[in-house]
Amino acid sequence: MAVVVIMPKQGQSVESCIITELKKKKGDTVQKGEVLFSYETDKASFEEESPVEGVVLESFYGEGDEVSVLENMMIIGQPGEDISSLLVGRGAVEDEPEEEVETIESTVSDSFRGDVARQEENSVVSNKEPGAIPVSPRARKLAEKNAVDTSSLSGSGPKGRIIEKDVQAALEDRPKMTPLAKKLAAEEGLLPQSSGTGLAGMARASDLFLPVNTVYGKDYEDRKISNMRKIIARSMHASLQNSAQLTHHLGADARRILALRKKVKAMLEEGQLDVNITLNDMVCFSVIKALKKFPNVNTHFLGDSVRYFNKIHLGLAVDTDRGLMVPVVRNADDLSITGLARQFKEIAAACRNGSVNPDILSSEAGSFTVSNLGNYGVEIFTPVINLPQSAILGVNTIVPRPKDIGDGVYAFVPFIGLSLTYDHRSLDGGEATRFLKQIALEIENLELDIFTLIN
Amino acid sequence: MPKVQVIDPIEVRKPGFVEFQPIPVNQYQKTVQEEKENFTTEEFKAIYHDMVLIREFETMLNLIKTQGEYNGTSYNHPGPAHLSIGQESAAVGMAWTLTVDDFIFGSHRSHGEILAKGMSAIHKLDDQQLTHIMENFFDGVIYEIVKKDFEGPVKELAKRFLVYGTLAEIFARKTGFNKGLGGSMHAFFTPFGVYPNNAIVGGSGDIAVGAALYKKVNRKPGLVVANIGDASMACGPVWEGITFSAMDQFKELWEGDMKGGLPVIINIMNNQYGMGGQTCGETMGYGIAARIGAGVNPEQMHAERVDGYNPLAVIDAYKRKRTIIEEKRGPVLLDVLTYRYSGHSPSDASSYRSKEEVEAWESQDCIRSYGEQLLEAGVATQADLDAILHNIKELVYEMFLKSIDDLISPKMENPDVIGEMMFSDGSVDSFSDAQPEVLLPLEENPRVKKIANKERFAFDADGKPFSKMKQFHLRDGLFEAIIDRFYKDASLIAYGEENRDWGGAFAVYGGLTESLPYHRLFNSPIAEASIVGTAIGYAMCGGRVIPEIMYCDFIGRAGDEIFNQLPKWQAMSGNVLKMPIVVRVSVGSKYGAQHSQDWTSLVAHIPGLKVCFPVTPYDAKGMMNAALQGTDPVIFFESQRIYDVGEQFHEGGVPTGYYEIPIGEPDVKKEGKDITFLTIGHTLYPALKAAKELEEKYGMSAEVIDARSLVPFNYEKVLESVKKTGKIIVAGDATARGSFLNDLAANIGQLAFDYLDAPVCVLGSRNWITPAHELEEAFFPQPSWFLDMINERILPLKDYIPGQNFTDSEFIRRAKKGV
Repeated sequence: MAVVVIMPKQGQSVESCIITELKKKKGDTVQKGEVLFSYETDKASFEEESPVEGVVLESFYGEGDEVSVLENMMIIGQPGEDISSLLVGRGAVEDEPEEEVETIESTVSDSFRGDVARQEENSVVSNKEPGAIPVSPRARKLAEKNAVDTSSLSGSGPKGRIIEKDVQAALEDRPKMTPLAKKLAAEEGLLPQSSGTGLAGMARASDLFLPVNTVYGKDYEDRKISNMRKIIARSMHASLQNSAQLTHHLGADARRILALRKKVKAMLEEGQLDVNITLNDMVCFSVIKALKKFPNVNTHFLGDSVRYFNKIHLGLAVDTDRGLMVPVVRNADDLSITGLARQFKEIAAACRNGSVNPDILSSEAGSFTVSNLGNYGVEIFTPVINLPQSAILGVNTIVPRPKDIGDGVYAFVPFIGLSLTYDHRSLDGGEATRFLKQIALEIENLELDIFTLIN
Repeated sequence: MPKVQVIDPIEVRKPGFVEFQPIPVNQYQKTVQEEKENFTTEEFKAIYHDMVLIREFETMLNLIKTQGEYNGTSYNHPGPAHLSIGQESAAVGMAWTLTVDDFIFGSHRSHGEILAKGMSAIHKLDDQQLTHIMENFFDGVIYEIVKKDFEGPVKELAKRFLVYGTLAEIFARKTGFNKGLGGSMHAFFTPFGVYPNNAIVGGSGDIAVGAALYKKVNRKPGLVVANIGDASMACGPVWEGITFSAMDQFKELWEGDMKGGLPVIINIMNNQYGMGGQTCGETMGYGIAARIGAGVNPEQMHAERVDGYNPLAVIDAYKRKRTIIEEKRGPVLLDVLTYRYSGHSPSDASSYRSKEEVEAWESQDCIRSYGEQLLEAGVATQADLDAILHNIKELVYEMFLKSIDDLISPKMENPDVIGEMMFSDGSVDSFSDAQPEVLLPLEENPRVKKIANKERFAFDADGKPFSKMKQFHLRDGLFEAIIDRFYKDASLIAYGEENRDWGGAFAVYGGLTESLPYHRLFNSPIAEASIVGTAIGYAMCGGRVIPEIMYCDFIGRAGDEIFNQLPKWQAMSGNVLKMPIVVRVSVGSKYGAQHSQDWTSLVAHIPGLKVCFPVTPYDAKGMMNAALQGTDPVIFFESQRIYDVGEQFHEGGVPTGYYEIPIGEPDVKKEGKDITFLTIGHTLYPALKAAKELEEKYGMSAEVIDARSLVPFNYEKVLESVKKTGKIIVAGDATARGSFLNDLAANIGQLAFDYLDAPVCVLGSRNWITPAHELEEAFFPQPSWFLDMINERILPLKDYIPGQNFTDSEFIRRAKKGV
């Protein structure tokens, strides 16, 4: 007797799962307890084992398909077994490859067809917005031309009929659209944002969004995530789950690096420098110097051992369209400030245009990471460690802070915020604090050889 | 003038008796022997020949209808064939003396008359004339067919032409005399003086009188014969036609050479049956049909009964009656006694008559008895008669074969050309070469002089209206167009009720009497069938005419003429005939249920009529000019409510000179952008009032379009407007149900569907009798009704309290009740 394997229901809120891998295909022999397919919900991934021994007689979905829970997934039985009775009541035939549909249809009973028809009918009714509001042909035409969703309008004609002026009023209430935006909106049922980014507030194609009926409709959309996102999600989650992280915050007097920055900027403009040395470059340069003095920080924590690096391989968190990337500059302690600046620019660009070498992206490639959010005005944050590294430095924005400048005189001095997250499994608070303080000292007393060279 | 005819009470109240003269019955009893000195041998033989030709022709059709073959050749003729076997002597006798200038009109049973009159013309025309006719008719198409493989004399060729043209017409061939569009019951051939035969019983009874009127007024030679059946004597239009033909005014009031009776002979082809009803003894009471003449005029229409079984008796009667016609003492009534052996139609089982009766008549058969007389008198030998029959059989069979051959005689490949024939769409200044007869120069006409002082635009420079008396009225616009044509086209005549001294019931013709002699403008009997029917005959012969129907409601009285005759003859003739008739119809109000109806929809429904309804002086003059310049029948509606309206739209007022406004073009009377009103007739004015209120109170601007015409109709201008406004009300005074308003609305709905912001709405009168004037506001569309309609069906108006109930439920309730 054949057995139907369904998509299990994983928790109350789960409506469907995505098949990540079909381990057994139609015709394959399986043992009881062998994995048939793996699948994932938005929270976790699972594997489904075969409840019996036999042959996969039917497999209804493919990899990547989204399958409603409790839906039939596979039929396991003996070769040649009549499974037509098991097919009754199964919907979603349309997802089948064509030849298979034919074989199924040739064996299914009329009641099954009826069921499908009814289901489809029902789904049509439930998918449509309530269409009871009459729309005049003229209003409909105008609405279609300008991509106005008439279901969101209320009609002022007799018996609530939506007439031209109702559509016109809707048009007046929204920004003008570029021709491309209009076309896209009409084709894809999108609406412009209340104020567009084009000239005089004109909505461009990029300003379109999917209309949402916030009263009756669902206000969300589920999209499959990219692999990149998956990797980030996995590693960040693992980082927080599998380590003992905490963060110390400390400010460094930024007057020195600001002065240096002023100088290098001037030099760049005068052509004495061919690379733009940023504050971040200077901070990283300082971090490298500090790391040299704290080899316990320049490590990987591997559970029962700690890996010490002789050289400093500095990771730099880079924000790209596809998500966060952390490329590594290997042997960063060998580089001059200009070399470091140049390398950073190269790898950041490579990340943004997608040409980066994957080898330098892995967390194992770096020995320490810097994440700079100062540009964005962030004052304090707690960066997440790129495991198995032992620590990560978050660089914050520069804020003026009162400081005793001697003789009990206080003045506002620019301070750059430094947030060090460290794995308490690997480092203790004292050492971490001293390391952080060391970075601040390096920043406050930074010397750059470029001036001496030029002089 | 009738004023000169004083009705003296002393005279008319005197006692006395109406005296009658004896009406001759079958007084002519001569034989061939006795008439030898009046006919040549050839003539005697030709009479025999013509009768046999008809007999063979009809026998052929009878065989085809009843046995599906003739001489062994099968053919299916699904159409009608009303045969006249037995009546040949009556037809040949009638036609024998007629010239080509004499016209005959017939009935559904007129194949014999076509052949008899055709042969009569062939006998009289010389070879050159015959060839000319044959070569020019339809570019010689028929001529080429009958000439092929034939070497004989022209008269024989002409006979082939006659038989073939008639037969091909009966068989609905493109090569028939009327391109197959007339058929058995309507076939005719005007070059031989054969005018339309008519499938409506008595249809020719008034049309033929109009043809005689044409001959008289235009001084054309010849007389007109109306060949109608004995049963048609019961038909109103026949009686109206006879009454019209016998009007006293021809002898009493018409002047100069126009004085005298109409050249018309009402020829009753008395076969003694009306379909299956016996006219003598069952369905009529006259006993002898000739008696009717005694009731018509003191001359008793010179009526007599003639023995139509003897061709010589009929010929004798026609010789004598021609003299009476030439002495202008017409009309004449002839009761030509005859009998048909064949049934009314092939489906006739002759259940209404005994076999013995038919046999008794057959034993006296007109052809056989005449043949016997020829033999007795030594005019012909049996061999001569046999040869005649033989030749005819050969000829008829040959023409039969030609007419059923689809290669020689194709049917119309593309019936769409019928659409091209519905209207002739001509533009003709005058249908006569003669100098128009008028009594004074145009500029001296008193009405013309009076109009000269009028304001041709309703408003002065400051936009203030001139006084009603000062304004140039709609009736003045009509008058200017009509009198202009009277001075251009000598063939133009006008008549109707109270058209002359009265000046028309609504003063449109005021001043025409002073300019026109009686024969161009006269009062008709109060008999609408004869008014329209005679006009049809007048126009068929080539004249232009304006008959008038005093009230739209009287259209029913001319039902057959307006619905069956006027619209059809241009197409049914294969475009041989033109119909330059402008029927003026005045739409009333105030006078209740039988004098206040807008029946524009009825005529618009009938294919073949142009229909217009101008409501401004500018449009009235321009469209009357166009109607009178054209060659098609136009039903020209006028509204009695606005005969005195001034010109409020055309800048510069109504031009003094000639101009035409094409029939079929609606006109935007007021521009607007929010809603369109399309109106027919007088309703333009309530619509404009509604537009004003709409604008002032609700800020909606209405575009008001005056349809001006119903047929033809150019939708483009209306669609353009609807595309702009998205909303439209179609309004008119006709009762809403079944009106042309719905036709317009349905078409606009289809053509402008995607542009509509609301359903196309129809605003007509209630489906009631028209009530008394005091209640008319509840019946005809009022300005407020437009707003009611807008509020209910198009766009709810703010704080509006509707007067009329235009809700769906009320509409359905009324429809259920039939109101």
